[in-house]
Amino acid sequence: MTLTAPGSVLWLLAHETRLYWRNFRAGRAGRSARGLISLAVIGALLVTGGVFIALGLHGRQAPINPLSVSLAALFTAVIFTLMLSQTLSASSEALYERGDLDLLFSSPIGPAKVLFVRALGVAGGVVTLFLLAAIPLLLPTVIWGHPGWIGVFGVLGALALSSTAVGLLLAMGLFALIGPRRTRTVAQVMAALVGAAFFLISQARTILGEQTSRSLFADITRQAQEGRLKPPPIASLPLRAMLGEPLPLVALLAGAMVLFALSAAILGRRFSDAAAATQGKTDAKPQRGGLVSARAFAAGAFLATLRKELLLISRDSALLSQVLLRVLYLIPTALVLSRNAANGTAAALAGGAGVVAFLAGQVAGSLAWITLSAEEAPDLLAVSPAGIATVRRAKLVAALIPVGLFLALPIAVLAWFAPVAAVWTTLGAFLAAWSSGLINVWHQRPGKRSEFKRRGGASWMATLAEMVVSALLAGATGVAVAGFAQWALIPLFLAGAALLSLRRSDAQIARNLRTR
Amino acid sequence: MTEALIVRGLDKTFTKPAVMDLDLTVHAGELYALLGPNGAGKTTTLRMVAGLTKPDKGEISIFGVDARTDSAAAKALTAWAPDEAMIYDKLTPLEYLEFVAGLWNVEPKVAKARAEGLLSKLGLASEARRRCEGFSRGMKQKVALAGALVHDPKLLILDEPLTGLDAAAARLVKDMLQDRVRAGGAVILTTHILEVAERMADRIGIIAGGRLLAEGTLDALRTQTRKEGAGEGKGDSTLEDVFLQLTATPEEAAA
Repeated sequence: MTLTAPGSVLWLLAHETRLYWRNFRAGRAGRSARGLISLAVIGALLVTGGVFIALGLHGRQAPINPLSVSLAALFTAVIFTLMLSQTLSASSEALYERGDLDLLFSSPIGPAKVLFVRALGVAGGVVTLFLLAAIPLLLPTVIWGHPGWIGVFGVLGALALSSTAVGLLLAMGLFALIGPRRTRTVAQVMAALVGAAFFLISQARTILGEQTSRSLFADITRQAQEGRLKPPPIASLPLRAMLGEPLPLVALLAGAMVLFALSAAILGRRFSDAAAATQGKTDAKPQRGGLVSARAFAAGAFLATLRKELLLISRDSALLSQVLLRVLYLIPTALVLSRNAANGTAAALAGGAGVVAFLAGQVAGSLAWITLSAEEAPDLLAVSPAGIATVRRAKLVAALIPVGLFLALPIAVLAWFAPVAAVWTTLGAFLAAWSSGLINVWHQRPGKRSEFKRRGGASWMATLAEMVVSALLAGATGVAVAGFAQWALIPLFLAGAALLSLRRSDAQIARNLRTR
Repeated sequence: MTEALIVRGLDKTFTKPAVMDLDLTVHAGELYALLGPNGAGKTTTLRMVAGLTKPDKGEISIFGVDARTDSAAAKALTAWAPDEAMIYDKLTPLEYLEFVAGLWNVEPKVAKARAEGLLSKLGLASEARRRCEGFSRGMKQKVALAGALVHDPKLLILDEPLTGLDAAAARLVKDMLQDRVRAGGAVILTTHILEVAERMADRIGIIAGGRLLAEGTLDALRTQTRKEGAGEGKGDSTLEDVFLQLTATPEEAAA
């Protein structure tokens, strides 16, 4: 029996790779010339950056001292958590995605082998993403004077394997703890929190207040200079491995492989049982009361559509975790706003107000894409006598309501300290959100809800236009908050002109949808 | 007799002609079965009647309303249920029916009572407040059928309505359709289960290659095939015999 015999790990891996490749080819980036050009441009930019890094580092050696060891360990931890947020999400989704899982588990292939290959796929996906950014940035340095730094790629591989193992353990732990119904939601939320954790830490200066964080940083630097910063010897492993020392690199890789193999072997049977248990399970607890409901039905197409869209948004765990992630990114901004509003620091306050407006536009754009383009039963709407304008309006309002809810807190805080700034921010955020919604009405591109993260291949022009218009309106908000309301008219006018040029009539929208 | 649906000279071409010069009439109080081999143009015809596909040519009138010029009024009278249920996995059946009733602007109190009645009748009362994502195909079909009936349409357009239903559910659905017909509604459906058409349909249309080959009651179709000679001496031929004779390719007929 050869290594690639049917039923072997390699055979199964080849099958998964083929499916992954065909999915990629079928996707927009793998198919369209525009996608390939975009990838080439990003690649060229990264390589250029990599060449500059290589030039800057040529002839210099990285010191191994407590400060560099601590920084490398911190960097490793950041990458690990970023990877973990993805592997946790992917591992929990793997439990629910039917795909060919039923076929594989009904075959004589052992569940541990199936899980091993699935998990390798998760790890491979994550490491590919990081390598795509790391290789062009780092390869010039590796080639030109620092061959040992190729160890960075090995460290990334080790991190991908161990984060997949931990992601699987967490997903299965959640499953055992809270059952199939809530695992997906909780895992998605946890993934968002883990992913944002280091962003929040990186914003410590903002969150803690400049004085506090400055003294914290000064304290760490002082400790390093005075030789009091003494990380444990094991903390030097990542740096030494990244610099290409064979023993630490092998130790990291071996440790990650053992952890990975162990988790796959231990969880194999449990995974197949859990995957079987998720079949037909919903995220929600069935409501009691059977058919009898005290609540009246919504009247008319507008209210019925609005209610339906809000229910669908509130029940989409992946969508909620993404919105939560954006809310988490808003926390430092909200703190900047409140602190600077209290202190009367105009520049930072204006910047914060701009960020709120920009985020409002971005979140509204994503939600509007979900409500307008990711309609699950378009034929039902098409055969109904409800006016398309009514349905669209309801969908747009449904996309804007969650934006209003998540902006309520920062704006309320702002209103307490600086009511005028709060008015400008509210206006700017509303305009940005409404504009993004309108762009999604005019440039609908049907897709699946599950493709929310990458907007189901939403029109690239709509995505770009949303960003530009949101940025212009954010600029207008910032300028107005800074006290130059008359100057805010310039970006406002530009945003209006952009919207006018993007506008499409009902007939044009219908034609555009028909040709897809 | 009131004419529920009149189709005249309907044409539709995609990459090749799908429906050609099709004429058919369905009366109120009648169940009409449209039969044909795969790719015959059945679903395209029904989609054009439902307003989902724009015909290249032809007229469609639903209870006297021109569906091509006043589509909203025509849609208000009809319901469309395809073989793949048009439902939302994250909604419960009751929420789904609320949404559908809203689209057809049914008065909320009436809609609620009707939705509860339909779910009870279809054996979904205990599942009324569970999300559809865990439902079997048959249950989803029943929810979709309830959706098609919640606004009390005068013309029901069904594409393979019995797909995925168990025997009891299929019987229930057949009974409900016949109740509607008896109450003066009209039903046009496609099915591959010829026995269903044979037992339920008042009239049958057989379509192949986008053209209506024959139309009438089962007896009329038998007579027609006898006249054409292929079914000579088969006075008690089944619908299957008639269907196969009418849709046979020249090679099959020669064999």
